[in-house]
Amino acid sequence: MSGTRRPSLTVSVCVAVLAAAWVTVAGRASALESSKETIGELLKIQAQVQSRLDLVSRAVVAVESDDGAASGVIVSPDGLVMTAAHVTTNPGRKILLHLADGTKTGCKSLGLDKSTDAAMMRIDGDRKDWPYVPLCRDLRMAKPGTWCFALGHPGGYDAKRGPVLRVGRVLKQMANGLQTDCVLMGGDSGGPLFNLDGEVIGIHSQIWEERDQNVHVSVAPFLRAWDTLKQSHVVRVWNTGVGGWLGVMTRISSAAELEIAEVAKDSPAAKAGLQSGDVIVTLDGERMLDQPQFSSAINSRAAGQRISLRLRGKSGPRVVEVSLGTKPVED
Amino acid sequence: MKRALVFCLLHGPLLRAGAPATAPPDARQTVAASVIRIEKPAGKLAATGVIVTPDGYFLTKASEVPKLAGSSFFLPDGKPARVREVRRDSRTDVLLLQCSGVNGLAAVKWSESKSLAPGQWLLAPRQGGREDARLGVMSARRREIKGGSAAIGIRMADQDSPEGVRIIGVAEDSPAAAAGLKENDRLISIAGEAVKKYTVAHELISSREPGDEIEIEYKRGGKLTKCSVRLASRNRVLSNWTGEDYANGGISIRTDNFPEIIQHDIPLGPADMGGPVFNLLGQAVALNIARVDRVTTFALPMEVFWPGVQQWIEDDRHPPKAVVK
Repeated sequence: MSGTRRPSLTVSVCVAVLAAAWVTVAGRASALESSKETIGELLKIQAQVQSRLDLVSRAVVAVESDDGAASGVIVSPDGLVMTAAHVTTNPGRKILLHLADGTKTGCKSLGLDKSTDAAMMRIDGDRKDWPYVPLCRDLRMAKPGTWCFALGHPGGYDAKRGPVLRVGRVLKQMANGLQTDCVLMGGDSGGPLFNLDGEVIGIHSQIWEERDQNVHVSVAPFLRAWDTLKQSHVVRVWNTGVGGWLGVMTRISSAAELEIAEVAKDSPAAKAGLQSGDVIVTLDGERMLDQPQFSSAINSRAAGQRISLRLRGKSGPRVVEVSLGTKPVED
Repeated sequence: MKRALVFCLLHGPLLRAGAPATAPPDARQTVAASVIRIEKPAGKLAATGVIVTPDGYFLTKASEVPKLAGSSFFLPDGKPARVREVRRDSRTDVLLLQCSGVNGLAAVKWSESKSLAPGQWLLAPRQGGREDARLGVMSARRREIKGGSAAIGIRMADQDSPEGVRIIGVAEDSPAAAAGLKENDRLISIAGEAVKKYTVAHELISSREPGDEIEIEYKRGGKLTKCSVRLASRNRVLSNWTGEDYANGGISIRTDNFPEIIQHDIPLGPADMGGPVFNLLGQAVALNIARVDRVTTFALPMEVFWPGVQQWIEDDRHPPKAVVK
């Protein structure tokens, strides 16, 4: 029972502030509901949901950990699983997954972002043919009024029942989340919210008392910190306004140029092949002259954003594209 | 229970409720036209009924209407009805009743439910037809729901005692709590049988059906008192032990032991049970039989009860005549 009382202070406060706005949304939603859709339109939605349901259900997993039951969704053929941070709570935890077809498999929690409740896991082993679903990368698509559907394992895994469907609409779009009237409950946490094309648009996170107060993490915090999460880092800095992280230390060379002194292990810079001794000439076309200018240029960009660096190294000039990450913080 | 924000991670016990979707306008009249309101003495909705013949035969959920005395019945036009019990079936939890002296009621038209698949839109009346019909989808596989046993929501000391078995805990919002039982009360008799052993007390309760009423004699501070307790499904009681059943109107007394169900996410309450479930064409396909939790309602597919109910009506209309030789 500890988990249901676990809401971190940050999240509780956020939600408390939003509560007043939600009441309005709920009222408006009901008025909207009672008039709009004709039977023809409803049948079209039904056809869309049913045409996707079998395929996407295969990628929905039931999660069993020491803390209790939850849900998740496989998003790559090699077994990356999206879920909620309050489900995994820490990187490196052993977790058991049940797939809709009855397959049972071990899994390990990777990185998580406690401020938004986004988390990632990876299925054990080398299988490269896991059923998986695509993500919707166009965040603008999840506008209020958009039809969507939720899957998950409310109440825990039940082999005879399988994943449970709920169809509803987006009521509100927030910076890192979505509110819908797809009703959730205990056990749904970490399960996927889909658009009618069968693409993931959110991950179930929290409920408020009313039936239309169901909150999902949007895919935004996942996309922003994809690599960081995959590398099992605990993301905590995003909301503090620190911004993107490249993972280099710089110095001014004897020729008065901005030069890379050191590259942090496993950082976005290391992955992009940046090396000590490389001279940074421009960032997104802007000439880099000194360290303060460079670090402020990095910090003012969001994690997840791609930057283009013109470098001059031992083997000559080159242009490198790097996705900024988030600076890992020891948990 | 004012604990609003909850992460949706399951830690044993559950939370509950459904979506605010209402039906398209053209379907609303059909949905409300065949509905009987069943009220408790204070005018509170107890259950919903569905009219199955123009001359007033209707169905409801048996365990929500344990006896007719004290209940009031209202026709779709709001007029009160005089009602008699025809047949009660514990296998399906269906109760067949008839309003006397009526004719020309709008009976539902049943249609097969076998072709329904998850994702299919379904409609159901809300608040005995007084609110707009609600919309939802079939949300999981059609299946059997095995029975747990019945319970009243008490924990007993595992010591036998000539002074009666001691209650050491009462679940919040349980039948025992509703009947006024408290911790440290001593159980003297259950359904007329003396209980000096806790195993006997357990057996007397769990061998019955959820929805049954039993009389319990207990001693509190030396004073002997009697109360009547309505049994609930064990699963329901267990999910309430930690008081997770807040807001959203609660769940049904009997939530298991059904031969086959259709699960849907129509946002309903326990008093909406006994009412019909329609497809978008306005054909009735199932009977709402159990509000289970925040996201789950079970409905009996028409194939499970309708052939039997037709036979009951037939038998009721043509009772066997005494043979005179």
